[in-house]
Amino acid sequence: MTAPAPTAHDVPTAPAGRPPGRLAGRTALVTGAARGIGRACAVAYARAGADLLLTDIGRDLPGVPYPLGTADQLAHTALLCREQGAGSVVTVPADVRDTEDVRAVVDAALDRFGRIDVLLNNAGIAAPSGKTVHDITPDEWDLMLDVDVSGAWRMIRAVGGAMTRQRSGSIVNVASTAGLVGYRHFAGYVTAKHALVGLTKAAALDLAPFGVRVNALCPGSVRDDEAAEGRMLSEIARSLDVPVEEHEQTFVAAQPMNRLIEPDDVAGAALWLASDESRQVTGSTVTVDGGFTSR
Amino acid sequence: MTDDHLHDPSAAGRLCRAVALRVHTGADPERLGRDLALLTGTAGARLWVEDVPDGAESPAAAHARERELTRPTDPATGPGLRAVLLRYADGGADLVVVAHRAVPADPYELARALLDPAARPTAPVTAPHDAAGRLGEQVARLDRSPAPDWGLGEPGTAGAGGRPFTLPVHGEAPAAVTAAAALGLVLARCTGGPDVELGTGPGHSLTFTADATLTVGEYLERVRRAEPVPSRAPAAGLYVTEPAEVLTGEGLKAEVIEDRPFLAPLHPLSVHVTDDGSTVLSGVCHHRRSAFGDSAVEWLTGMLVTAHRALVTARPDTPLADVPLLDDDQRRRLAVLGGLGRTPAAPEAAGERIEQTVRSWAERTPDATALTFEGTELTYRQLDERAERIAGALRALGVAPADRVGVCLDRTADLVVILLGVLKTGAAYVPMDPAYPADRLAYMTEDAELSLVVTESDAFPAAEGVRTVHPGSLAAADPDREAPEPGPLSADAAAYVIYTSGSTGRPKGVVVPHRNVAALMDATRADFGLGGRDVWTLFHSSAFDFSVWEIWGCLTTGGRLVVVPYWASRDPERFARLLGEERVTVLSQTPSAFAQLMEADRAEPVTDSVRLVVFGGEPLDTRPLLSWLDRHPASRCRLVNMFGITETTVHVTAQTVTRSEALTGSRSVGHPLPGWHLYVLDPEGRELPPGVAGEIHVGGAGVAGQYLNRPELTAQRFVPDPHAPGPMYRSGDRGRLLPDGRLEHLGRLDNQVKLRGFRIELDEIRARLLDAPGVAAAAVVLRQKPGDAAGARLDAYVVLRGGDGAPGPDGTAPAAGTEEVRRHAARFLPEHMVPSTVTALPALPLTPNGKIDTSRLPEPLAGVRTTPAAADEEAGDLETRLRGVWEKVFGFRVGPDDDFFTLGGNSLLAVRLLAALREAAMPVFPLPQLYLHRTVRTLAAHLAGAEARA
Repeated sequence: MTAPAPTAHDVPTAPAGRPPGRLAGRTALVTGAARGIGRACAVAYARAGADLLLTDIGRDLPGVPYPLGTADQLAHTALLCREQGAGSVVTVPADVRDTEDVRAVVDAALDRFGRIDVLLNNAGIAAPSGKTVHDITPDEWDLMLDVDVSGAWRMIRAVGGAMTRQRSGSIVNVASTAGLVGYRHFAGYVTAKHALVGLTKAAALDLAPFGVRVNALCPGSVRDDEAAEGRMLSEIARSLDVPVEEHEQTFVAAQPMNRLIEPDDVAGAALWLASDESRQVTGSTVTVDGGFTSR
Repeated sequence: MTDDHLHDPSAAGRLCRAVALRVHTGADPERLGRDLALLTGTAGARLWVEDVPDGAESPAAAHARERELTRPTDPATGPGLRAVLLRYADGGADLVVVAHRAVPADPYELARALLDPAARPTAPVTAPHDAAGRLGEQVARLDRSPAPDWGLGEPGTAGAGGRPFTLPVHGEAPAAVTAAAALGLVLARCTGGPDVELGTGPGHSLTFTADATLTVGEYLERVRRAEPVPSRAPAAGLYVTEPAEVLTGEGLKAEVIEDRPFLAPLHPLSVHVTDDGSTVLSGVCHHRRSAFGDSAVEWLTGMLVTAHRALVTARPDTPLADVPLLDDDQRRRLAVLGGLGRTPAAPEAAGERIEQTVRSWAERTPDATALTFEGTELTYRQLDERAERIAGALRALGVAPADRVGVCLDRTADLVVILLGVLKTGAAYVPMDPAYPADRLAYMTEDAELSLVVTESDAFPAAEGVRTVHPGSLAAADPDREAPEPGPLSADAAAYVIYTSGSTGRPKGVVVPHRNVAALMDATRADFGLGGRDVWTLFHSSAFDFSVWEIWGCLTTGGRLVVVPYWASRDPERFARLLGEERVTVLSQTPSAFAQLMEADRAEPVTDSVRLVVFGGEPLDTRPLLSWLDRHPASRCRLVNMFGITETTVHVTAQTVTRSEALTGSRSVGHPLPGWHLYVLDPEGRELPPGVAGEIHVGGAGVAGQYLNRPELTAQRFVPDPHAPGPMYRSGDRGRLLPDGRLEHLGRLDNQVKLRGFRIELDEIRARLLDAPGVAAAAVVLRQKPGDAAGARLDAYVVLRGGDGAPGPDGTAPAAGTEEVRRHAARFLPEHMVPSTVTALPALPLTPNGKIDTSRLPEPLAGVRTTPAAADEEAGDLETRLRGVWEKVFGFRVGPDDDFFTLGGNSLLAVRLLAALREAAMPVFPLPQLYLHRTVRTLAAHLAGAEARA
């Protein structure tokens, strides 16, 4: 036998006809994955070849004046991800306010996949809102911060051990332009998202020595995409007691690119932050707002 | 099978094992899930079920299975094991079990226990954490052991690769023995030592020797008897998996289809051989690319296959040394990689004699200038006519074809005319440098059996039967007395005999035929674009064969040769000016000489007419060239590093040095010239694959073929070429091939010294010194007084950039710089390799050939607070005091007869010397006096006289 031909090298493992994606062999954990931005990001990660653990609350919360992501919607996201060529997809319902739920999600991911490379902290609520700051009730205030800030922190707390041991990982916190500027009648939400940006910077400093990156993603006003089943924009409009079309128009006018943000626009940035292409980016806020905060 | 992105570089993947079983019956997820929970107790592993929307034999199924087989499990974050049931659309199912080595049971046992309740262990199989920690430490230790140089890995590269192979089974010996024996033999030959250590797990390995004195039978027996011992973290591991039984039972039928001892290469090189009971063993060479490159593994795998076949088929009494690692095809491939079969595209001068080619230029461009020397010029016609007259005169003196004529002349235009004249007679010239000691000249005269030497020197050692003739008398000879011209002359006849000293023994004359020089020009003419518009320098002594390239490279391509006068060759600034005045285009330099020219270039840029610089004669450190490339972009001035040997006609390889070579400090000397080829062989003369260092052997058009009158030495050094007609030359140089066929030159085989029992490569120390910031040039010598082994030490010498390296005007030693250099070296080198002293010199002393002259490196002053000379400073006589001041200024010991400028003195140091004299309240003198009185002795005498007169 002669020395083997050089072409006999690495046996490809990607599905036929598809090059290995940017997240092939990586595991991503996505919260709030049932619909909207969470679904778009999960699908983007799936297309990049990641193994996915998807979670959402799967029930409504008293005090939140709109229906939350359902188990069926989460299962549908998983289906879309499998169709897009994800590695393996596991769904686990969880309430990010519940420490035990959060631990179960992370344990499942580690048990199934052995590692967690990406955490997309996307779960959040935009309402109850629409009140002047001094009219917000203590329960409304606590609920908003518990989900939007503490929920993200609980997830970081739960994955931190595995990621630091791996000496790698990317955490993406989905904040908002409300994490950068104020909005009238959204004091709770604005406070929570500003806090999330602060958490991002502090966590980035804590985890940088371990090769783990933490960044915040600040979308502007995102269209309620039918395929993504998003409803944030309409809920905000309802909180403000204006027709959705009028609210949309206000934001289109305010965003210099002259159109609303699509969930896929956010997913593009979320994929970049998750991948090695952003390997020197940490503690930063990536704004996807069509120029809104540049004014 | 393996791929970058699925190879987990973390310890977990390397410490996990995995099996996949095809479950024909018994794949009930509910029962399996329940049993798994029972089996894993409190750790509570759960069964994962994955539905694959395609058949069991589909690519999608294979892909899903592969994904599970490469997914690690970490006892730090879970039970340390995972079971996944893959269900396929056609009803088929696979059970994949991955288990960390910290888990007491292996994945096959777990799978069996899960599928077959009868095989269930009594204790739960959860992971003890301390075991995981211990294994992690063992992996970390594996990572700390250095990767072998020959692996050609790229440090810092992530990822792993795998190369499949098959080994035919033969005879009764178990696969674990034959595979270990074959791999051990390959590793022993690559590392160059008999001791083999093969990892068999994270903490243990097999050790045995592949001693060349063993027979195959003895060797196999040793391997068979080898017992695993606690591991010293070897670079290579071998894992042999054997066939597992088919699981059958009530409602159960399952068989192992994959068995992986690791998910990512545990050792930098991890060989996995599967013995499935058939007639071939299938294997994969897994490797981490940081330590083993794809190409090195390709060759290694090929050698493994060849060695295995040879070992299992050889008679037991076959000497192990006779077992080949490369079959004929592989050897041929190596030879082709080394340049065999590459020939110049369009040979012009093939087979021509040198003087014929020069003559053809005299016919084509008779009025073109051929020679320039100190303002005088000769056209090609004049050159040819004058050389013809010389030839006539030589013939009249009895010179006939196949004779040898000594030429002992300084570098002038006459020298070139005489050399050409000698060639025209059909004789060969034997160049001798007038600066050589008389003994050496006498030796060469006798050894070459010269009867005629052309020289201007009255001091040329007289010998019986040797006639010396003045070049002037040859030129003035009466043409009528000419002897008849010889008949047709052969290109196979000798053109010159050049003496090389070598490190041991007497100098020997290398006999080089005309044909070789023609081949050299055919190999380079097109690539270097050499032609009539080029202006070359003759910078080197005719006794150094770099001059062959300069003189005949120029005159056989129609260029103009500028003969560099001695004074210009010793003064870089004047040489730089000469380059500009003559608009030189092709410059040949030793790296040491070029380093000085680069310094001059910093002060005043060297002319941009220079379009090609050819380095030769010494190893080139590419890093300092970066500053030259900053000022002279490679697009305008090409730098070519040529490795060469007198015995192979000046050059062997050529490497264009660009920014990327300079930035990476490339040690590549490039591909062999077309027509030349090379082999890297081990001490037994066997070919070595790319990456493995051995002795460079050169074959092809440049091989000289013989030493004059030294048949024994000729037979030793010029040996039969295994792949081509004619001899190849054993160079005594260390080198290795790179996977693309370029050569890395690694110094002389004999540049190893022994210090207090340690083998030390001086070149390695030198390379580290050159790494230090600010070091432009470096040399290291082992200094040992005879009979004083304990006093032996390494002395290093450096030229510091951006300064002359001399001490300050107040006489303080330049300790800051040199101490820093020493500390830098100490950071990388083992203690016994750190030089005891580091002395800064303004320039390194060079031999007449432009190479570093280690014999003229001064005794270091470093570490000696008060030198004998300095101690007497107050009391001593003027000469001793003066010497003390010189030593302060230079920073090293100075002899009374050392020439100020030869020591590296320059005008800046001269000013410092005057300042130091003034400070020591000693007589001072006008600066130009130093040019007249260049030694301590003569200057002291002059100053004493001046004092007396005053």
